[in-house]
Amino acid sequence: MMLSRIADSLFWIGRYMERADNTARILDVNYHMLLEQPPNTYKLRWDPLIAVTGERTRFYQKHEDASAQTAFDFLGISEDNPNSIKQCIMNARENARAIRDRLSRELWEDINSLYHRVMRVHDQGEDLTRFCDAVKRGGHRFHGVCDATLARDEGWHFVQAGCVLERAEMTARILDVHYHQLLEGPPILNESRNHLWMAVLKSVAAFEFYKRQYGQIEPAKVSELLLLDARHPRSVRFNLSALQSSLYAISGSVPGTYANEAERLTGKIHERLMYDSIEEIFAGGLHNFLTDLQESCRTIGEQITGAYFHYAVVA
Amino acid sequence: MPLESFEEQRKLADLSYLVQGITFTVYSDGRGTERLFPFDLVPRIIPRSEWDVIERGLAQRVMALNLYLQDIYGAQRILKDQVIPRNLVFSCKHFRREMVGLNVPRDIYIHVSGIDLVRDSRTGQYLVLEDNARSPSGISYVLENRLVMRRTFPRAFEVSEVMPVDHYPSELARILRSLSPRSGERPVVVLLTPGLYNSAYFEHCFLAQEMGIELVEGRDLVVVDDVVYMKTIHGLTRVDVIYRRVDDDFLDPLAFRSDSMVGAAGLINAYRAGNIALANAIGTGVADDKAIYAYVPAFIKYYLGEDPILMNVDTYLCSNPEHLCYVLDHLHELVVKAVGESGGYGMLMGPSSDKKTIEDFRQRLKADPRNYIAQPVIPLSRVPSFDPAIGGMSPRHVDLRPYCLYDGEKVTIVPGGLTRVALQRGSLVVNSSQGGGSKDTWVLRGDE
Repeated sequence: MMLSRIADSLFWIGRYMERADNTARILDVNYHMLLEQPPNTYKLRWDPLIAVTGERTRFYQKHEDASAQTAFDFLGISEDNPNSIKQCIMNARENARAIRDRLSRELWEDINSLYHRVMRVHDQGEDLTRFCDAVKRGGHRFHGVCDATLARDEGWHFVQAGCVLERAEMTARILDVHYHQLLEGPPILNESRNHLWMAVLKSVAAFEFYKRQYGQIEPAKVSELLLLDARHPRSVRFNLSALQSSLYAISGSVPGTYANEAERLTGKIHERLMYDSIEEIFAGGLHNFLTDLQESCRTIGEQITGAYFHYAVVA
Repeated sequence: MPLESFEEQRKLADLSYLVQGITFTVYSDGRGTERLFPFDLVPRIIPRSEWDVIERGLAQRVMALNLYLQDIYGAQRILKDQVIPRNLVFSCKHFRREMVGLNVPRDIYIHVSGIDLVRDSRTGQYLVLEDNARSPSGISYVLENRLVMRRTFPRAFEVSEVMPVDHYPSELARILRSLSPRSGERPVVVLLTPGLYNSAYFEHCFLAQEMGIELVEGRDLVVVDDVVYMKTIHGLTRVDVIYRRVDDDFLDPLAFRSDSMVGAAGLINAYRAGNIALANAIGTGVADDKAIYAYVPAFIKYYLGEDPILMNVDTYLCSNPEHLCYVLDHLHELVVKAVGESGGYGMLMGPSSDKKTIEDFRQRLKADPRNYIAQPVIPLSRVPSFDPAIGGMSPRHVDLRPYCLYDGEKVTIVPGGLTRVALQRGSLVVNSSQGGGSKDTWVLRGDE
């Protein structure tokens, strides 16, 4: 038995924690990559990052220029950006506080500690690297504590669903924005291209795995790994597969069937990611594919909400 | 233990409260700041012989209050026998006409109560300061304080024989389950909270978790054909018993305040139809009104035929013209309280108030005498507490709120209760909203 409101909160704890973690990763990786780049390219490189988070308009209302400082302010600690790391952690914690009786004590204390860590930034000023590091560690701890202390009931599957849906969407967006930038942005040196793709891989913790798997950096291969790999925990396919399992566990559907629109859509994209080759995807246009993918992720989120959290009661 | 390590333990304990989120919310700065409820690591110790008297006295009082409620919402014998003026009862802010003639499950009105005691330092006697028969909070601090104390000073528990308190949630859960109107089925019991922004929210979560029951908000409940359900991910589930931590006024927008966002529409009809049990019952505020308080010793005599074991503090009812006259002449030496309030609100501490405040209260008393009572200032007993300012022990005033559970036959009281302590030297005010703190309360198995 699980209240709709509780399931809703669990789902969003997963999403917000994952969003904070992803944002910290891209911020941190970009910052370190740029330390070795000519300073005049900075603006160019911070702008796409803002785009990845989907908050470009809001950013330029507040800041003239995209720089390490403004990006950190906006993506890291701003209270005006509803998707800043700080806001995400606050929201995750607010959701957790509302249902703390349903969490393990360990999980609540862990989220609460991370919240207090992130709130301290307010008083002291903060170093970007240390801040991102704390958030990333917090993200890892979150997964670890969930794994080690939560019963594998529906609640766990809602947290999972929130995490993997968020992660799938984020990976798709990172790939989309950077690909776009490389194709349509001002020409950059080959060497810098490599750096950029390496940064992309690092931001999804896939650099080492890629090197072992493919060796040389090639955009098509990077795309293949990020989209279609069945084993890497940040590839879109991996996450949609996990999403499908969790949705089935919640509804009791068996593979090959679906109980609601969220399951149907998840199954549909997952199928494509299983059987399409990267060449086929490129032939149809990567950007189109990624746009569809992101749109589907949004719809899946809405459909989960409609099926489980906010359904109408007929008296 | 050397003072430095005591100070270190104290900081560790504070940190553990912060990490666990055991905080209450203060809204004065507009943002809703979370504060720690200050905790003093020096336990308050009550010998067994003293506790036995308190326990018997409280059990007696709770039984009498429950019989009184049964009577007021039933035959009203006590009014016919003129033990208490009819007007005084019917003019209580929390009297609920809707409850008259309604049968509540197993005739229990006050399942949970918290009765505030003070110890008069002149006589050493425990006196009842007030009854809380609606939804008293604070038990979670009793349980958490004990947990922190056990972690911090495990050795102390090895050598002194402290009576345990941990059985409170299971005892409460047992009582709640026994109220279910559906026999045969495994009862579905829930705790109804006003939500995250309520100052006692931590406690609501804590109790729900400890009892293994669902914590619900009004928006989780729907009433269909006089049956209460909660909305789950797989549809509606029937609810049998609600331990509600929402005030009467807000329970059902159809029956009481129509602007309530924290209740469930139709709940009262379901209650009338006998499809749902509520704990505490509706209308118990007619028992803990501060003017009614003065008559509780008479209730004990009337319903149980016994002499009260715990005495009241002398009380002047301002609705009585003679009393009012005395009170108005002695405002500077009395404590004045509004009858329907709790938590230290609407209160005048005569001896420590300035002229303007006293005059202000004089006007209020004259305008609405029924709304006030007055009591002499009781010199509260003091116990040693840690004072960070001097880095050592120093005496502080305390009171005591034990928590009483009533199952229709007997009253269970976990040994001890919440000891609230005034953190300012000399201060008599122990409310958390006014800078009070708490201590663990140790009832010993023996007198040593």
